Amino acid sequence: MDNDGKLLSVKNVSVQFSTEDGIAQAVGDVSFSIKKGKTFALVGESGCGKSVTALSIMRLIPAPAGRIVSGRITFGETNLLGLSEKRMRAIRGSKIAMIFQEPMTSLNPVYTAGNQIAEAIMLHQKKNAAQAWSDAVEMLQKVGISDPQQRVGEYPHQMSGGMRQRVMTAMAVSCEPELLIADEPTTALDVTIQAQILDLLDDLQRQNGMSILLITHDLGIVAERADEVAVMYASRIAEVADSQRLFENPLHPYTQGLLRSLPRLDFSAKRLQTIPGTVPDPLHFPSGCKFHPRCPIGHNDKWCQTVEPKLKEVQPGRCVACWYAPGYEK
Amino acid sequence: MLWWTRGFHLNDTVKNRALPKGRSLWQDGLRRLGRRRVAKVCFVVIVLYFLLAGFIYLAEFFNWQVGPIRWQEEVSSSYEPPSLQNVFGTDIFGQSVLRKMLYGAKISITVALCASFVSLSIGVPLGAAAGYFRGAVDEIIVWIYSTLSSIPYILLILAFAIVLRDKTFFGYKLTGITTVYLAIGLTSWVGICRLIRGEVIKHKNREYVLAAKSYGCSNGRIIFKHLLPNVFHLVIIDFSLRFVSFIHAEVILSFLGLGEATRPSWGAMINDARIELSRGVWWQMTAATAAIFLISLALNIFGDALRDSLDPKLKVQ
Repeated sequence: MDNDGKLLSVKNVSVQFSTEDGIAQAVGDVSFSIKKGKTFALVGESGCGKSVTALSIMRLIPAPAGRIVSGRITFGETNLLGLSEKRMRAIRGSKIAMIFQEPMTSLNPVYTAGNQIAEAIMLHQKKNAAQAWSDAVEMLQKVGISDPQQRVGEYPHQMSGGMRQRVMTAMAVSCEPELLIADEPTTALDVTIQAQILDLLDDLQRQNGMSILLITHDLGIVAERADEVAVMYASRIAEVADSQRLFENPLHPYTQGLLRSLPRLDFSAKRLQTIPGTVPDPLHFPSGCKFHPRCPIGHNDKWCQTVEPKLKEVQPGRCVACWYAPGYEK
Repeated sequence: MLWWTRGFHLNDTVKNRALPKGRSLWQDGLRRLGRRRVAKVCFVVIVLYFLLAGFIYLAEFFNWQVGPIRWQEEVSSSYEPPSLQNVFGTDIFGQSVLRKMLYGAKISITVALCASFVSLSIGVPLGAAAGYFRGAVDEIIVWIYSTLSSIPYILLILAFAIVLRDKTFFGYKLTGITTVYLAIGLTSWVGICRLIRGEVIKHKNREYVLAAKSYGCSNGRIIFKHLLPNVFHLVIIDFSLRFVSFIHAEVILSFLGLGEATRPSWGAMINDARIELSRGVWWQMTAATAAIFLISLALNIFGDALRDSLDPKLKVQ
């Protein structure tokens, strides 16, 4: 794979968790790449391995239970999986930053907003406390918090969820990272605040030219904000495409099922369609294609039941992992 | 334009009104503590004991000839019962029991403070390391404290006191109260270690720890800057209650003859009073017991109040 225009490339990464009941594969053979200044969305159901993928880019998989067993993550020119813990710490925050799902718990309750933003700044830049503090005020201003002079000295419990998420965002972008990983940044927020936070991310992206890895299960957000999308199912990537082509013409039966199960304004249906069955247990994944028990084609196809399809490029910039996708060579 | 689409127009006074100033956990806790009158009284009592101890240190340093540091002086004949001159009477040498009692405060407070320091500086880092790193580190630390805590406390503390007594470490000879507080400190860190370990395990999976990691904090920084401040109120509560047991331990060791031998401490006073009691001399026992009783009671009530006001999960009232 050539490296032009690509900021991050994840190649064949697998992550395993050892539990008391056995080894669970949280991420299996995942590959994708993120271009500079673009938004890449990772969608999928809860527990399909989206967050674990994000954490493995940060190398923050909870050890010793979780382990990246194989693969390669290249950021710019550096192989992240080969770095020492110390070099990795220097990258976290300054080059790659992350926003978390739960704004209520992702700020330390004993520190003020300013303390935490200033800490992130001082860890990576040679600035004294006063400079870092004034930067923190500026960051709060940038993320659209009114009255930043006052808010900078407040504790997380005095802020609303949306405001905390803004503070979290300010912390993450305070060192102008090249890649921002947003792990369901809006799941815990109500709809109007969701839109505000996403607009904020858009603005910051335009100003700093950073790439965003947006993890979500909300297809509406994906359609609106993402340049490219990867759909994940049961630890595997089912399909990668730019968002317009994905929504116009989904190739993987799982993506098709997801899109059919969305309520649509231009379509009147009495009942929404669903995908039959449930997400498989990561300890006992089905053989062959992980989606075959729920797939309209695969559930009685011997080939799908026994051999797992690899992710292959079927059109320029478009990959899919399904034996029956048009253009997929067996 | 419909009337309801116009929206609200806030006038400037409403817009510019200052937001209520926020309070941290500590400010909030102290405010709640301030509302309890009994706790305040107890706090004053505790402060008085500390001031007394501090004052005796100062007096010894600057050689001020005030009452408590002249405890060796013979003020009257031996076994003088309480009177207006000698509030708690005199002992066998004709020394004032009141002065000895006051001087005892210095010994007790010193021992309890130093023992707290020793026990905290062992228990907190070990507990935090065990809880944060888990795995082998945790196994080893838990094994050490389980072993220590399976030995009866008094035997353990006696063993430590006897072993440490009159030993020389780095050119410094361990005598008197140094032995006592080292023995207490080295044996009493188990409780705090266990408490910190449990709390750290609980907190380390919170998202703020992951967030701190995600902007590049090292493990040490996360433990000391992010985790410990979140659990430290529990340490303070625990210690306000444990302080009493340190004072008691000193009394017991002195009573058993392993503590301070040359200066009066409450334990030594009770030890002396053992024989005196059979002769009807009750005042030395009374004075020492009263001194212990008062600070124990004050520390217990204050510790409870502190826990109620600092532990947000116990918000009852």
